[in-house]
Amino acid sequence: MAPIITEPSHLVNPLASIAQLETSASQIDGVPRDLEASIRYETGRLNQAAGILLRLPQEIIAQSIVILQRFWTGPDGASMLKHDSKDVAAAALYLTAKPSGHCLTPRQLLTVFAFLDSLDGNYAEAASSKGTPTSQWSLSENDYEAQRERLYANEALILRTLGFQAHVALPYSLCINYLQTLDAFAGPDGSSLAKRAFAHLNSALLSPQRLYLTHQPCALVTASIYLAAREVGSCLPEVEWWEVFDVEREELGFLVVALRSMEGFAEEERRAWGRSRVPMTVGELRVAIADAHGWTAGE
Amino acid sequence: MDKRHPSSFQQLEKLGEGTYATVFKGRNSTTGAFVALKEIHLDSEEGTPSTAIREISLMKELKHENIVSLYDVIHTENKLMLVFEYMDKDLKKYMDTYTSPTGGPRGALDPVTIKSFMWQLLRGIAFCHENRVLHRDLKPQNLLINTQGQLKLADFGLARAFGIPVNTFSNEVVTLWYRAPDVLLGSRTYNTSIDIWSAGCIMAEMFTGRPLFPGTTNEDQLLKIFRLMGTPSERSWPGISSFPEYKTTWPVYSTQELRAYLPQVDPLGLQLLGQMLQLRPELRCSAQQGLTHPWFQELNAARAQQQQQGMQGGYR
Ligand SMILES: Nc1ncnc2c1ncn2[C@@H]1O[C@H](COP(=O)(O)OP(=O)(O)OP(=O)(O)O)[C@@H](O)[C@H]1O
Ligand SMILES: [Mg+2]
Repeated sequence: MAPIITEPSHLVNPLASIAQLETSASQIDGVPRDLEASIRYETGRLNQAAGILLRLPQEIIAQSIVILQRFWTGPDGASMLKHDSKDVAAAALYLTAKPSGHCLTPRQLLTVFAFLDSLDGNYAEAASSKGTPTSQWSLSENDYEAQRERLYANEALILRTLGFQAHVALPYSLCINYLQTLDAFAGPDGSSLAKRAFAHLNSALLSPQRLYLTHQPCALVTASIYLAAREVGSCLPEVEWWEVFDVEREELGFLVVALRSMEGFAEEERRAWGRSRVPMTVGELRVAIADAHGWTAGE
Repeated sequence: MDKRHPSSFQQLEKLGEGTYATVFKGRNSTTGAFVALKEIHLDSEEGTPSTAIREISLMKELKHENIVSLYDVIHTENKLMLVFEYMDKDLKKYMDTYTSPTGGPRGALDPVTIKSFMWQLLRGIAFCHENRVLHRDLKPQNLLINTQGQLKLADFGLARAFGIPVNTFSNEVVTLWYRAPDVLLGSRTYNTSIDIWSAGCIMAEMFTGRPLFPGTTNEDQLLKIFRLMGTPSERSWPGISSFPEYKTTWPVYSTQELRAYLPQVDPLGLQLLGQMLQLRPELRCSAQQGLTHPWFQELNAARAQQQQQGMQGGYR
């Protein structure tokens, strides 16, 4: 029997097929595409904020966001009209942190999510820890029991839906490698270049284009470094260096545009939702869909 | 991304029982082929056991002829079952039931079989390490043998991808007897070299039929190791005194000759064994280096020839 040659799994991810990107279980159930994108974005932000409050490393947070995206993607994925997206987000973070050995009790996790839920999307302050300290925020025993059961059920649901494909190849250490290869740390702005590149890798997690489901880490890293170098005015080789990393000009160009559009997208989301809440439960989502159709509830 | 739906299996007799699962022989209802069904106990306080999440997500990535194949996962509301390729028995049972064609003590294997098993073991380990996976629990019960004499690594419940930051696991630990001295000393920065130590212990056990270091406690395990390898000091192992489990009260043993303890092993085999059983992790050979050791010369040559023939076959 010949060995099956696989790519090193720490460098590649399973990508979504065109059919999986074209539609989704949520859309089939009647969720408008842009509303779905808003919820995906919001759950990603939620996990980023929760992960910071729980002092989890960025790798774990990133992995949980990619798992969430896999979960919602494609007709064989799960529908936002069947599962409360904020609970699924919590389960994704729980299930990512658990096998990594970062002790995270269900109580710690649920407390932080309850606290964040009370902020109506203003996670920025909470994450910079000027908000209410989470230690003063506690769940009643009944609430806790019920939520923990839900957490376990959602965890099992995610694993089942993904066929246990919970492994995610992340770009962070690859990014350091590439920067070293490019001798970027030798220059005076090496560390600011690295910081910018990492920032792009993090915001790419929230991209409506689901960049982590459509591009491999090597391409994401190359585009992040390219854009970061432009921004901090640092000189990279004149030659087409991205080819060394197996990335073609076309893909690079596409990704740079996608990364650049993130700021505008975030701004747009902020404006669109203003003070109102992005629907994060099945109930809230039903109301939002009815509103969008012009039938206000009860009138 | 592939989100698949499971097929159905008929459950036959019990094959083994582990700490977190029961393994049954099974038969695929449609094809009739045998499989191993690993049923995970789901009573825990933590939801889906982290061992299962780790094992399944890693096994999905690791496809190699010396790693047991995961065919399917059956996950219902109250049951989690992994479907593996069927293997005849684990190495522990294999040794217990083995009668050597050349005589020798009970449980000991013959040199040709040992060499073949070690080569396959190191190939499996090398593949894991190339994919940045540590097995962390290599022991005879976790190595499976099929009727064609193939050896495959199983039980990835403790394995982990080492790209992800590690916190120490206090309650889930590698079996004492095969545990590396640096781990016993409380190191938190262990790496691929811990699997090589285990492989060395397994190699010696295949020759003698007895575990090399059958310790009873962490301390006893260390002392059993030191009795053969010599008690390390700051001189022989700079930095040893800063390990959490370091004791100034250790009896001072001198280093014994492996040859004296394992007279049945040929000189080249002893040389390889010595490279794997190094107290200091940084001195242990890698799985890849182990594979290129002259002890494996014939096996490597045979494989190279096979590959060449395979390639020629491909052009026909
Ligand atoms: N694919 C297989 N084919 C045949 N027998 C198997 C197979 N997988 C496991 N077994 C048998 O079942 C036993 C337990 O399996 P395994 O080590 O995977 O379970 P475990 O619960 O993780 O054990 P541990 O106590 O080491 O954690 C093995 O030692 C072996 O004897
Ligand atoms: Mg086992």
